[in-house]
Amino acid sequence: MDAIFDSINNLVKIIGDAIAGLVGSLLPHPISDIVVMALGTLAIFIVVLTLCAGLTYLERKLVARIQDRIGPNMAGPKGLLLPIADAIKLFTKELTTPAAADKWVYNLAPIIVMVFAVLTYAVVPFAPDVIGTNLNIGVFYIIAIGSASTIAILMAGWGSRNKFSLLGAFRTVAQLIGYEVPMLLNLIPIIMLTGSMSLVDIVERQWNTGVPFLIYFPLSALCFLISGLAETGRSPVDLLEAESEIVAGFHVEYSGMKFGLIMIGEYANSLAIAVVFVSLFLGGYRGPILPPYLWLLIKTLLVFFGFMWLRGTLPRVRIDQLLNMNWKFLVPISVVHILLIMFEGKLFVTDPARIAATGGILVPVLLQAVIMGGTSIGLLLGGLLLAGRSVRGERLQHDADMTARRTANQKAAMALVK
Amino acid sequence: MEVSQIVFLILTVTLLGAAALVVTTKNLFHAALYLIVSFFSVAGMYVLLEAGFFAAAQLLVYIGAISILFIFAVMLTRGTALITPLNSQAGAVGVMSAIMFAILAVFLWPAPIRLQEVILGGFRLLRGGTYGGEPWQFVPNNADTAAVVNNATLRLGAALGDFAQYGALLLLSGALLLVGVIGSIWVARERKIADTRADRSEAAADARHEAQLESEAEAREAAALPAGAHAASVEGQH
Repeated sequence: MDAIFDSINNLVKIIGDAIAGLVGSLLPHPISDIVVMALGTLAIFIVVLTLCAGLTYLERKLVARIQDRIGPNMAGPKGLLLPIADAIKLFTKELTTPAAADKWVYNLAPIIVMVFAVLTYAVVPFAPDVIGTNLNIGVFYIIAIGSASTIAILMAGWGSRNKFSLLGAFRTVAQLIGYEVPMLLNLIPIIMLTGSMSLVDIVERQWNTGVPFLIYFPLSALCFLISGLAETGRSPVDLLEAESEIVAGFHVEYSGMKFGLIMIGEYANSLAIAVVFVSLFLGGYRGPILPPYLWLLIKTLLVFFGFMWLRGTLPRVRIDQLLNMNWKFLVPISVVHILLIMFEGKLFVTDPARIAATGGILVPVLLQAVIMGGTSIGLLLGGLLLAGRSVRGERLQHDADMTARRTANQKAAMALVK
Repeated sequence: MEVSQIVFLILTVTLLGAAALVVTTKNLFHAALYLIVSFFSVAGMYVLLEAGFFAAAQLLVYIGAISILFIFAVMLTRGTALITPLNSQAGAVGVMSAIMFAILAVFLWPAPIRLQEVILGGFRLLRGGTYGGEPWQFVPNNADTAAVVNNATLRLGAALGDFAQYGALLLLSGALLLVGVIGSIWVARERKIADTRADRSEAAADARHEAQLESEAEAREAAALPAGAHAASVEGQH
């Protein structure tokens, strides 16, 4: 039984080694390395693209179900061939370029969106030892790539020479730059506890201790999910492309496969957020009985199902609400969370060697997790309470202002009548 | 030629070319994009020097934040389509740059490799090696490069946390940034209408103007409509 699972687990590794050996025997040394790396990138690209195509179908079906519609049902049985039909449609459409557009910037933007989307997957572990490159700064790299990918959206928004595109680009800056901050802040507790920024180390630590980080830091998981949604511009917070306000935001002017690249790039980005969330908080590819690829797929699809659910359920957030939530709620609560976890990490120690060095109370791992998780949830509830109070206060103040204004108007009107 | 040398040459050409285009191109937005290209090349240099943390920091800070602020400022300003990069001081700046370049060239000409040695030696120091050593060596001949790089990140963290080295400077710069944030909040704070004296006089003028307009409008309405209809219209409005 174990042998079978091992061979399944090692399938990609075996194939990869075989291909690398073949290329190595055919080509001289430095060129063969580059070719093997390019092939690896291509493999990741194809897997991500196929997954995204399948997920678009699932998402449309699911959102239709939530909204009491049938959803796609024409192409193939139950509309299963819809992604292929979509791809054919996108490929055969005319590629237009607006006359006033900044040609180079306009045409480069979709490509850069796609490149950054694929770059994220370079450090995501798919199974033990199956990873693009195990950077020791993996998590930091993901944040850096995410922050640099804003450029592509800005290029699309500016290059189109369309005021709606430009408005979308402005919103991008406000939203994406703002939500990078809580995203980074909520990674810090995990990095502190693991002592490493590599995603492989983070996954392995959760497996070795047996406690996923979701139990340690529920607050961080929530904040990371919210800011991940905002970073990729998915539905409750898709202000970059709010149809009812700015047509389609930064990609109004794109048609055919240029639009397809932007769309798939964004989809791949949100899938990447789901995979990273799984690796950070849910134990990544590790799990009992089933092979790692399957575990990663199941967990990722579950998280992505949550994304789809949110999209089908929640209305779009207003831009001021979005920014207020970021700067007045997520950032302060994350900072306080880091401070508390720092303190608790020093106080409750699981490693006897560290007690000898720095002191502290020796506790089992589960107790440490429960203590930190309790703090996290308590902080979240306290923060929500405070925020709710302040919001209610603001609303009451607003109501009072409006009433006062109405009374004044009525008085003025009565005076006029007399 | 090693692969790393080829990559180094490509990066250098990209960096210098993009930097030259930043100062010569007439389109401000394009200039900002070229600046991003040059930042990317610098990040590539860091990667070549096995300093992954610095590469990611370069990506995050320079491309993800500073360049985007530049672009945002360009987008918010008007008439930036084609502006000549030259102004009245261009000649003087050109002469000064030429002099500085000449001085540097004179000092560095006898040993053109030495500059590189200085840079590489600095990174080698950071990695825990010794200063100096053979030039044109980008990737250390160490099998366990991950451990070396990890060591560099750890050493950076230790240096930033140690008060004998950069701890105090780190705290000072943190305080500086905090003051900056507080200042920007103060500048952009929500003001009541009559907050400052200037605001107050302005608001008073506005109020007088509005009152005048209103009374004129009312006078016109009163003249146009019979008294009952006027009252009804006012009631309807409120």
